[in-house]
Amino acid sequence: MADVRLVNVSKRFGALAAVEAVTLHVPEASFTTLLGPSGCGKTTTLRIVAGFYAPDEGDVLIGGRRVNDLPPHRRQTAMVFQEYALFPHMTVFENVAYGLRMRRVPPAEIRRRVLAALELVGLRGVEDTFPARLSGGQQQRVALARALVVEPEVLLLDEPLSNLDAKLRVRVRAEIRALQRQLGKTTIYVTHDQEEALAISDRIAVMDRGRIQQIGTPLEIYHRPANRFVADFVGLANFLDGEVAAPGQVRAGDLTLAVPDGPPPGRRVTVVLRPEAIRLHVQPPRDGENVLRGVVAQASFLGTLARYWVTAAGRQWMVDVPSPGEGVISGEVFLEIPRERIHLLAAE
Amino acid sequence: MAVGVVRWRTAARDPGLLLAYALVGAVLLGFVLYPTLRVISYPALADYLGIVDNPRWMAAVRNSLMMMVLSTTTATLVGFLYAFAMTRADVPGRRVFRSIALLPLFAPPFMVAFAYILMFGRQGLITRTLLGLDVNIFGWPGLWLVQTVAFFPYAALILEHVLEAINPTLEQAARNLGADERTVFRTVTLPLARPGVAAAMLLVAISVLADFGNAVVIAGALPLLATEAWFRIEGLADLTGAALSVSLLLLPTVLLFVLERVWVSRRLYTAITGRGSHLERPPTPWYVRGALLAFCGVVAVFVLLVYVAVVAGAFTRTWGYNWSLTLDHWRLGLAQGGGQLLNSVQIGAISALLTSIIALLAAFLTSRRQWPALERALDFLAVLPGALPGVFIGIGFLLAFNAPPFFLGGTPWILILALTFWHIPFGYQAAQAGLRQIDRSIEEAAADLGASGLRILRDIYVPLLRGPFLASFVTSFIRAVTNLSIVVFLVTPRNLVATYSILAMIGGGFWGAAAALTAALLALTFAAVALARLAVGRTIRALPVA
Repeated sequence: MADVRLVNVSKRFGALAAVEAVTLHVPEASFTTLLGPSGCGKTTTLRIVAGFYAPDEGDVLIGGRRVNDLPPHRRQTAMVFQEYALFPHMTVFENVAYGLRMRRVPPAEIRRRVLAALELVGLRGVEDTFPARLSGGQQQRVALARALVVEPEVLLLDEPLSNLDAKLRVRVRAEIRALQRQLGKTTIYVTHDQEEALAISDRIAVMDRGRIQQIGTPLEIYHRPANRFVADFVGLANFLDGEVAAPGQVRAGDLTLAVPDGPPPGRRVTVVLRPEAIRLHVQPPRDGENVLRGVVAQASFLGTLARYWVTAAGRQWMVDVPSPGEGVISGEVFLEIPRERIHLLAAE
Repeated sequence: MAVGVVRWRTAARDPGLLLAYALVGAVLLGFVLYPTLRVISYPALADYLGIVDNPRWMAAVRNSLMMMVLSTTTATLVGFLYAFAMTRADVPGRRVFRSIALLPLFAPPFMVAFAYILMFGRQGLITRTLLGLDVNIFGWPGLWLVQTVAFFPYAALILEHVLEAINPTLEQAARNLGADERTVFRTVTLPLARPGVAAAMLLVAISVLADFGNAVVIAGALPLLATEAWFRIEGLADLTGAALSVSLLLLPTVLLFVLERVWVSRRLYTAITGRGSHLERPPTPWYVRGALLAFCGVVAVFVLLVYVAVVAGAFTRTWGYNWSLTLDHWRLGLAQGGGQLLNSVQIGAISALLTSIIALLAAFLTSRRQWPALERALDFLAVLPGALPGVFIGIGFLLAFNAPPFFLGGTPWILILALTFWHIPFGYQAAQAGLRQIDRSIEEAAADLGASGLRILRDIYVPLLRGPFLASFVTSFIRAVTNLSIVVFLVTPRNLVATYSILAMIGGGFWGAAAALTAALLALTFAAVALARLAVGRTIRALPVA
C-alpha cells in the first residue's frame, strides 16, 4: 500500500493547459475523488498518475518514490476505465488473469487469485464467457476484478459508473466503497457527478480549468465551499452579493441579513445559502431572525422534497422543503434564514 | 526539451519497442528508399537533360499521357454509371453485376489484353470467325479498350461507396423542394459525388500510367514509358535508359498520388454526410432503369469475355483455325510452367506473409503518438511504395540488389523482397483501418496491467487484427503471384515464375499454353480468396465492433 503525492504538476496539450500546478496528497488507504465538469483536468490528472501522460512540470510520487519516468506497465497502479476496456478477444477469466500473467505469477496461483477476485466482486460462473455477452453491470465488475487482482498499490477509477443506469449506479458505488474499505486500498476516483462524489469519498478535490479549487471532506466541500465555483458546482445554492455593514451583518441592496461573525465591516462578500437551509412558514414565525415575507412564484414536487421559488425582498429564493406530505403550498409565505446556516465567501 | 528527455527516459524502459522502431525503420529505408534513390540517381544529369532532344523519349511521354487521359476518362465514366446502377435498389441483378465488376481485380494484369487479342484480334473469335473482319487491335485503340475494362472496377468500387454514402434524405429534400429527377441528379447527387469522382480518376490515372502488363501485350509499336524500360533492358541492355524512363514515369505518378492523399481524401470526408437516417430511395424511372440495365449488361459481357476467352483458349487446338477441343495445351503449359507456378505460389506466399507482418508492425508503431516526427517518417516510407509504379520497383531492385554489396540477383529473394515492399501500403492501410476500430483504452488497460509495448502488440493487436491481417495477406498474395511489372526485370533462368513464362508464350505465339497457364493461375487466386473467406468466417468470434 502507498500514498500518492502530486507536487506542482502541470500538463499542456498544445496551447491548452489541461492541468495547472496541481498539488494533491492522497493518504494511504484513503478514497479521494477528483470532481469537476468535463474538461476540468480531472481525467488528465488521473492518467498522469497512471503514467499514460508524462507531466510537463512537477513530480508524481507513489509511496514516496518519484515515478515520473516510469511507463504505465512499470507502475503499481491499476485502472478501471470508463468504457471498461475489457479485452474483447479474451474470456472473463483471461481478462482478469492478464495482469497476473504479466507479473509471471504461476498458473495455479493465477487460477486461485482470479477466482477469488471474481468472488470478491460477486461474479462467479462467467469465467469462460466473452465480455460482449455480459451486461453493463457485469462488465463493470469484471473490470474492477481485473484491476484488484494484481493487488495494486493504487486503484484508479475513471468514471466507472457512467455507463450504468441510475439505480445500478447507486448500488455499485456502495459496493465499490465497501470493497475499498475492506481492502484498505488507496483509491483515486474521477467523476463529474457531485452527488456520487459526496456519497463515496473520504476527501474530494474539486477541479476547474486545470486547477484544484478546493480539497476537503464531503461535509467541508458542501457546507464550507472555498469559492463560488465550488458552491455552485456542488449542490444548489442561493447567492447574494453584499457588503459587511457591521460585525455579523451583511447588507445587500435594501436587505440586511444577520450572518455569522467573520469578515470586517466594509468587505464585499457573497452569501451562500443552500435551499434546504431556508425554512418556509405559512404563518410568520414568532421570534426568528432573518424573516422575509414572500410569495411562491413556482413550486415543483420532487418526491422526497418540494422545491419552491419564492419572491421575497425583490429577488428569487430557492427553498427545499423535505417530505412535503399532502401537497405544495402556494400564495403568501415567510422565509426564515438561520444565521448559522449562512456561509460567507469573499467576493471574487 | 524537458518533454523530450522524459520521453527518452520512458522509452529506455521499453527497449523492445525501441528495437522495433529501429528494425522497421531500417528495412523500409533499405528496401524502399534506397532502391528509389538508386534509380533516380543512376542516370547522369546530362541524361535527364537529353530527354527533350530524343524523339523516342518525347513520344513515350506524349503517348503515356495521352493514354492516361483517354483511359482514365472512359474508365471513370463507365465506373460511375456502373456504380450508380449498383446503388439503385430497384435495378435487377445488381448483386451479379457487382460480382462481375470484382472479377478483373483478381486477374493477372496482362489478362485483359491477352483475352482481347483472342477475341478481337486478327485471328479473333468475334472479329474474324464470327464477323469476318480483319482488325488490327494492336496499338492505342486496343490499349484504350483494354485499360478501360481493366481499370473501371477501381472507379466503380470507390464510387459505389461514395454514392451509397450520400444521404437519401438530401435527395428527398431536393424533390420535396420541387426538383425533378434530372435536376436532383444534376444539383445534388453529382456535386456530392464530385470529390469521389476525383479520387476515382486519380487512382485510375495512376494505374493506367503504371500499367505494364496490358501495354506490353497489346500496345504494339507504340512507345510508352511503362514498357520502354523493359525494351531498353531486353533489347539493348541499356540500364541508364531504363532508369531514365521509369524516373520519367515516377514524376506524374507521384504528383497524382500526392494530390490524391492531400487534397481529395480530405475533401471526401467533408462531402459524405453521416448515415443517420435510413430513408428509402424513391423508385428509379423505368427508362433510366432500362438504360442502366442495358449499359451494365454490355460492360458485364466485356468483362466476362475476358474469362471466356482464356478458358476457351486453353482448350482449343489452334485458335482462329482449328476449333476442336484438346488438353494438349495443359500438358505443354504445365510441363513447361508447372514448376514456375509452384515458384510463384511460394514466392507469393512468403512475400505476402512478410508484407502483412511488416505492415502490421508499421501501422502499430505509427499509431503510438509518442514520437510524432519519427512516426510521420515511418508513415511516409510505408505509403511511398503506393506511388511507385511496378516497373520502377523492378528497376530499383535490379540496380540496388543485383550488384555487390547486396547481391541477390537470380535468387527467389530478390523477387520476394521486391514484391513484399511494393505491397506494404495495402497491408498498412488495412491494419490502420483495423487499428482505428479498436478503442485506445483497451491498449491502455493492458499497459496499466503491466504489458510493455511489444507485449501489447502481441496480446491485443495481433489477435484483434486477424481480419485485416488476412485481408492484407490475400491481397498481397494475389498481387504477387499475378505480378508481371516487377518480375520481368528480376527473373533469371534460376528463379522463373509463371507470369513471366506466360508473357514469353504469348510473345512466341503459344496462345493455347499461355491460356492454360493463365487459367491455372486464375484458379489459384480464386482458391486463395475462397480459403480466406472460409478462414475469416471462423476467426470472427468476439470482435470489439461489428
